[in-house]
Amino acid sequence: MFGLRFERRADPSPLLVFAVSVGAIVAALLVTSVIFALYGVDPLHAYRTIIERTLLDRRGFSEVIRKSIPLILAGVGLVLALRARFWNIGAEGQILAGAVAASGVALFAPLPEPLYVPVMFLVGAAAGALWGLLPALLKVRLGVNEIITTLMMNYIALYIVRWLINGPWRGQSVTGFSYSDRFPSFAQIPTLPGTRLHWPTLAIGLLLAVILAFVLYRTRLGFEIRMMGESQDAARYAGVNFMRTTLFLVAVSAGAAGIAGVGEVGGIHHRLIEPNSISLGYGYTAIIVALLARGNPLVAVVTALFMGLIFASGDIIQVALRLPSQMPDVINGLILLFIVCSEPLLRYRLVRRKQPALQASGEVSA
Amino acid sequence: MKRWILVLALLMGVASAQDDSLKVGFIYVGPVGDNGYSFAFDQARQALEEAVPEVETMYVESVSEAEVEAFIDQLVFEGSDIIIANSFGHGDGVLAAAQRYPDIIFGHATGVERAPNVMTFMADFYQVYYLNGLVAGALSDSGKIGYVASFPIPEVKRHINAFALGAKEVNPDAVVEVRWLYSWFDPAASNEATEALISQGVDAFGFTEDSTTVVQVAGARGYPSFSHYASMVEYSPETVASGHLVNWSVILIDFVEGVLDGTYTSENLEDVDYFWLLEQDAVRMGAAPDMPINPVYEEELKGYLVDHPEFGEISAWDLVFERLEQMSTSREEFDPFEGPLYDRQGNLVFEEGEIPTIPELLSTQWAAENVVGPWEGE
Repeated sequence: MFGLRFERRADPSPLLVFAVSVGAIVAALLVTSVIFALYGVDPLHAYRTIIERTLLDRRGFSEVIRKSIPLILAGVGLVLALRARFWNIGAEGQILAGAVAASGVALFAPLPEPLYVPVMFLVGAAAGALWGLLPALLKVRLGVNEIITTLMMNYIALYIVRWLINGPWRGQSVTGFSYSDRFPSFAQIPTLPGTRLHWPTLAIGLLLAVILAFVLYRTRLGFEIRMMGESQDAARYAGVNFMRTTLFLVAVSAGAAGIAGVGEVGGIHHRLIEPNSISLGYGYTAIIVALLARGNPLVAVVTALFMGLIFASGDIIQVALRLPSQMPDVINGLILLFIVCSEPLLRYRLVRRKQPALQASGEVSA
Repeated sequence: MKRWILVLALLMGVASAQDDSLKVGFIYVGPVGDNGYSFAFDQARQALEEAVPEVETMYVESVSEAEVEAFIDQLVFEGSDIIIANSFGHGDGVLAAAQRYPDIIFGHATGVERAPNVMTFMADFYQVYYLNGLVAGALSDSGKIGYVASFPIPEVKRHINAFALGAKEVNPDAVVEVRWLYSWFDPAASNEATEALISQGVDAFGFTEDSTTVVQVAGARGYPSFSHYASMVEYSPETVASGHLVNWSVILIDFVEGVLDGTYTSENLEDVDYFWLLEQDAVRMGAAPDMPINPVYEEELKGYLVDHPEFGEISAWDLVFERLEQMSTSREEFDPFEGPLYDRQGNLVFEEGEIPTIPELLSTQWAAENVVGPWEGE
């Protein structure tokens, strides 16, 4: 039609990737503007209010970073998994697994006081990793689709948390409400004064991004992971140990999500609470973070900050603009939709059908 | 980059113009459409705005305990001078935010922990549950009255005891059978508990659960029940006999006026704890605001005669209103727990003529003589 056809692109340039990603986000925000307008809110006023209270306000900005922390950790981990085409949809459950393990340590472990926080991080990372390794084993040994298993593991984790806070771990001092007792002060992750930023978790996230970028681009293991993602057959032919490599990257990916869970309960809530309150869907949003980052762990930090901004704007949308609390979810969904839809633009280009009258300039492809 | 931000900020201007109204921000645990707890709270917010012209209010609904701090940040940004949170579970967030915002005044409904800028308040129903018990005792034919209860905590135990003592006053053989849900909101479990009680011969119901389930399930069999927090008459117009309604507005108005005239500041709230009752009009008896007792039951209650040690022969109807008037005057006039009072294990709880103090009420663990069923911490 119209004399146009798709033609496969070889390797999209970084500039094109950037332009298409930004374009997808802008398109999503334009659609959101229409929704704002339908609610009778001037979209310009809406975006101005959001920017004023997040990027231009000290406390607001610290909230953006705080909400980015779990997204950085889970997102960077997902980048690694997606790089090897392991579709880890289970970050949400891995976050909860980490939160449960950390809560167990904080509430019950007999440890010297200074050891609590480090042990919580270690045990949380291990629990997250275990939660991810089960589907990974099922995949490499039995060929079970990991999208289904990782997703289902989320629900198992969710109900385990619910059972714990309604049953054995329900607090003595909470008069019947469903959450655990408060963690003792030495089992709380320190925060920057005047904010709720639990900086140790942030530091771990940033460090992890740097380390994973190094592993991915500068080591043999990273090369193998990238090769698995590009072509499984080629990787197999080149002698990549699929089992070992998959288990390693899933352990790291899920372990990072576990650390995010430790940060949420240890740094913010100081209790094991209702699972949907521990993670406000961070595990799912991390998928957007990783997709937007297009396989680069360092870029994932930036995209996590962007999604953190959208999360933080949810409260503003509700209080300042008097809009329903579901709006941020709508924006999230729109961004994901536009990113997925923009994918073909990276892999294909639109060219005019060959016509004798025209020069065949548009067809030359590398 | 810095200049850039400066230009941006200038372009946007400072949107929030200063004015001298007192801004009160409300945080509700549920949706205002829940027809119960948060709905009643929002009624009070509107009443406050009407009663005190200097006040401007705003609210956020459906705020879980985990998110309360982020919403407090936003309400502060909006210029709130006072922030009121309505759920016990908001406590952690309120206390933490109060430390970060020492100049803002906080109010925490049903809370227990205070700070120099955090006061707590409660409108307690125990007197009204007693009045509801009088009605239930008179309306029950079997003498078996059911109580679908949330958690075995002092507040709920106090209410069950008052309800049971009311029933006993009009029918010495009446017993109150208790079923525990271990949840504040669980329509499915409420349904099950109500059905189980019905199958044991129970024919009148009190409850502590934040849905209208008991009213509807009991109502389907024609058994009387009571509105909880807000009117539930529309869910079973023929069987909601009476109920206990909250009127948070009197507390809010009193407190906000205290802030306006300088009585309450962000430095002296450590000991400000409202525990308001019938006397202060913080709670009311009624199936609905304009219906103290459902007219459907008027004849039956007027025909139910009691030989009463204090009033002689009196109908249940008149007794309810006599007691209501006494308790609305003062706690000294009449209290459902006035001694001598024995618990169901035979221990003397309050001595002859003794009226429980507020701390004694707040730590209720005993069970009234005619309460049947498991009772933790007895």
